Amino acid sequence: MFCKILSGSVVGVLACFVWVEVDIDSGLPSFAMVGSLKNEVRESRERVSVALKNVGFALPASRVTVNLAPADVRKEGTGFDLPIAVGILQAMSYFPEDATKDILFLGELGLNGELKSVRGVLPMVRAAAAKGIAHCIVPMANAAEGGVIPGITVWGAENVSQVLAFLQADAEERREILTAVSVDAEALLTKQNSKGADFSQVCGQAMARRAAEIAAAGFHNLLMLGPPGAGKSMIARRIPGILPPLTLEESLEVTGIYSVAGLLEEGQALVTTRPFQNPHHTVSRAALIGGNSHPRPGIISLSHRGICFMDELPEFARSVIDSMRQPLEEHQVHLARAGGNLTYPAEFMLVCAMNPCPCGYYPDRNRCKCSETQIQHYRNKVSGPIMDRIDLWVELHAVEIDSLQNADSGEPTSRIRERVEGARNIQRERFAGTSYRFNADIREEDMERFCPLGEEEKKVMEQLYQGLQLSARVYHRILKVARTIADLAGEEHIRKEHLLEAAAYRPSQE
Amino acid sequence: MGNSKMNQNMMDKNEIERARKYACWLYSVPGIGDKTMEKLLALCPDVEQIYRMGEKLWQKALTVRQLEQIRDFARETNPEALYQGLLKQNIRFVTRTDADYPKRLRDIPDPPYALFVKGKLPAEGPSVAVIGARECSEYGRFVASGIGKALGEGGVQVISGMARGIDGISQDAALEAGGISFGVLGSGVDVCYPESNRELYEKLCARGGILSAYPLGTEARARNFPPRNRIVSGLADALIVVEARHKSGTLITVDMALEQGKDVYVVPGRVTDRLSDGCNYLIKQGAGIFLSPEDFLRDLWEGWLGRNGENKGTGQAICSEISDAMALQMPESVTRLSPLHREVYGVLDLQPMSLEQIRGRLSEEQGLQQLMLVLMELCMEKAAVQVSTGYFARRSGEGKFDKIHIEQLH
Repeated sequence: MFCKILSGSVVGVLACFVWVEVDIDSGLPSFAMVGSLKNEVRESRERVSVALKNVGFALPASRVTVNLAPADVRKEGTGFDLPIAVGILQAMSYFPEDATKDILFLGELGLNGELKSVRGVLPMVRAAAAKGIAHCIVPMANAAEGGVIPGITVWGAENVSQVLAFLQADAEERREILTAVSVDAEALLTKQNSKGADFSQVCGQAMARRAAEIAAAGFHNLLMLGPPGAGKSMIARRIPGILPPLTLEESLEVTGIYSVAGLLEEGQALVTTRPFQNPHHTVSRAALIGGNSHPRPGIISLSHRGICFMDELPEFARSVIDSMRQPLEEHQVHLARAGGNLTYPAEFMLVCAMNPCPCGYYPDRNRCKCSETQIQHYRNKVSGPIMDRIDLWVELHAVEIDSLQNADSGEPTSRIRERVEGARNIQRERFAGTSYRFNADIREEDMERFCPLGEEEKKVMEQLYQGLQLSARVYHRILKVARTIADLAGEEHIRKEHLLEAAAYRPSQE
Repeated sequence: MGNSKMNQNMMDKNEIERARKYACWLYSVPGIGDKTMEKLLALCPDVEQIYRMGEKLWQKALTVRQLEQIRDFARETNPEALYQGLLKQNIRFVTRTDADYPKRLRDIPDPPYALFVKGKLPAEGPSVAVIGARECSEYGRFVASGIGKALGEGGVQVISGMARGIDGISQDAALEAGGISFGVLGSGVDVCYPESNRELYEKLCARGGILSAYPLGTEARARNFPPRNRIVSGLADALIVVEARHKSGTLITVDMALEQGKDVYVVPGRVTDRLSDGCNYLIKQGAGIFLSPEDFLRDLWEGWLGRNGENKGTGQAICSEISDAMALQMPESVTRLSPLHREVYGVLDLQPMSLEQIRGRLSEEQGLQQLMLVLMELCMEKAAVQVSTGYFARRSGEGKFDKIHIEQLH
């Protein structure tokens, strides 16, 4: 007898529906699985047959064939165990044919029949809802993550027996067998509380605090130079707090990535705070941008809509840093693999920190004995194309004892965030109907349109250009940053003071 | 009679030129320096003979390694071609026996056997070596350029090593002021080291001279620099040390200068500045103190005129006319700006200060952004420099000494 069950897996972060077709026919007893399967999917055969036996359903002594269609898509992940088991049970006529209609099945089986969590539930459920599918049965551990999607009933199941009972029951009884999980995403998002890391704890470093604010407002990448212990990481960790809270749409995107990466905690419904990733400088290229033979989102995709903080930037392997060039440009990662091409979103704010020189004390020549060549060599470890994509540079100085003691503590995170949100709203209006989201994205050809200057301001830029010996690239970066500073001030036109302030954060090397 | 004397001269000249080719060849052999040269010349004073006699003679003076090198060199090059190649590049080869060989250098304890020269050789007039740290501070930069400019305007030749930092800055300033300067290299004269001083190198070739005791193509090696330094001090009448750390290479040059009997002047610094430690130490040891270009030039000319047997009083009388200003003057553009701008400019120092430090020294509390605007405007007016994002200093680029009137000296 033949039947087919709806399931799916994710390619990149996109859902891909898969029909699990099961046929049981007379013939020599066998269990064959076909359909372009990766190893973990092929192993499903053993898991399913043992699990079914252990919950009391021995496989019939007949020929069992399982096909995962479409056959030309590489199937991966462990989510097919449940649909295969359900398909076999249906083919053995344990429940009526239409019982599985309009239901999407996902889940990994343990040998005792229990259901284990799988990756990528959120994107799958989301796609199913969009396709108009009414129900979805997932492992209990993943139910919350599916439950944030409206318009589809997500059932959390503990084991395969429950699922069988559910399928045998009629609509009324079903509610008593499995729990329909639904999560109010909006409430979750508004409920989030700050975790105690507040900008008011940063002592002194007013310039760096201001730079962080500007960077957050325009989503500019930021580089902090400073001696050890000046507070570079401390500031970086507080930047997610001054970014506007995740919107529902953003949160779903981020949660989708974390779901695919298998990084959601058991029962976690949504990622509600801006991601903050802090890769160690020994990170490999595959770990940073994603990929590998089992493609998973890399750290920069896990930083999507949040911060990727790279401390001790020159210590990272050059090839690793260079691999971020394309993602920084296009806000997504393209991975070409023998098995096909993948795309992961990666719209993140790059925050870097480094010492100004090998010893860390430049430009304090009393302590720093590094030669120009050494400093140049140290800074050259970071390739130019990456430096070109960092709009804001700021220098931190060693913290003096009095600023630690009379903690003239700066503004709290909440007040800074208000200003950042204000600037963000202005940008949303400005860029409505364009492909841009933030000032940092403005390309050179659109400078005239979005960063127009008055006569007086043009003169100032000319003076700056000559007085500071700027290059054309730096010129444009100053304009973008000035646009953000003007937005923070709520000004429609970029004025002289905005340009001057922006110029102060220009790169100090060319 | 007159005719035959001329012939005699001509013959001498040809003879000298011929000998020069062999001397040049011998001095260009890798691994043969002044010491080996002396040994060879002690065995046979005729350089052509040294070349022609070959191994027989060589093995008496050379080590096994040097023998190998000279054999290889003899196989690859011949004196005629080598010398013609030199001339083609407008490079001269001046030996100790030549009349052109700088007199001052001939007088030091161990003068180099010969010099490769691109451009001119130092002339008879007074010359001063200005040396100091490669990694100098804004203060050093300011003083070095001021000294270079004053010496250049005062008609004093500036000798230095064309290194980054003090050396190059003083030489560049001297040339810019219309003076003459000479760079003594630790590499071949055709090798510009450091590459960042390429522009200065070209200027020195055109308007001064590049000198070296190392054969063409020699790369700059650390061990070449101490011998080079003795030539720097040897070519000068006096030495000015602008900034030097304790136990730095600059102090080695000072030792050599003292051995050679040169006057050593030192630019004093603050006791808190590590870059001035070497200078202050030298002052303790009894070095002369560089107070101002006027003061220094007076001493220099007095010494010079004294040595050259002229009236001592002249120097004094003339030098009193040199007006002087070792202080950084507020650029005119700043005087037009607001009182706050002027105050901030007053607070700034040649040493970079962080924004917070500057803020702490102002009479009234200023907002960060306000202060930053003021500083950026000062940068725009070229009165200040942003050393790196958070640090500002006074701009020293155009260190202003008043015009020095020294024409009457000549």
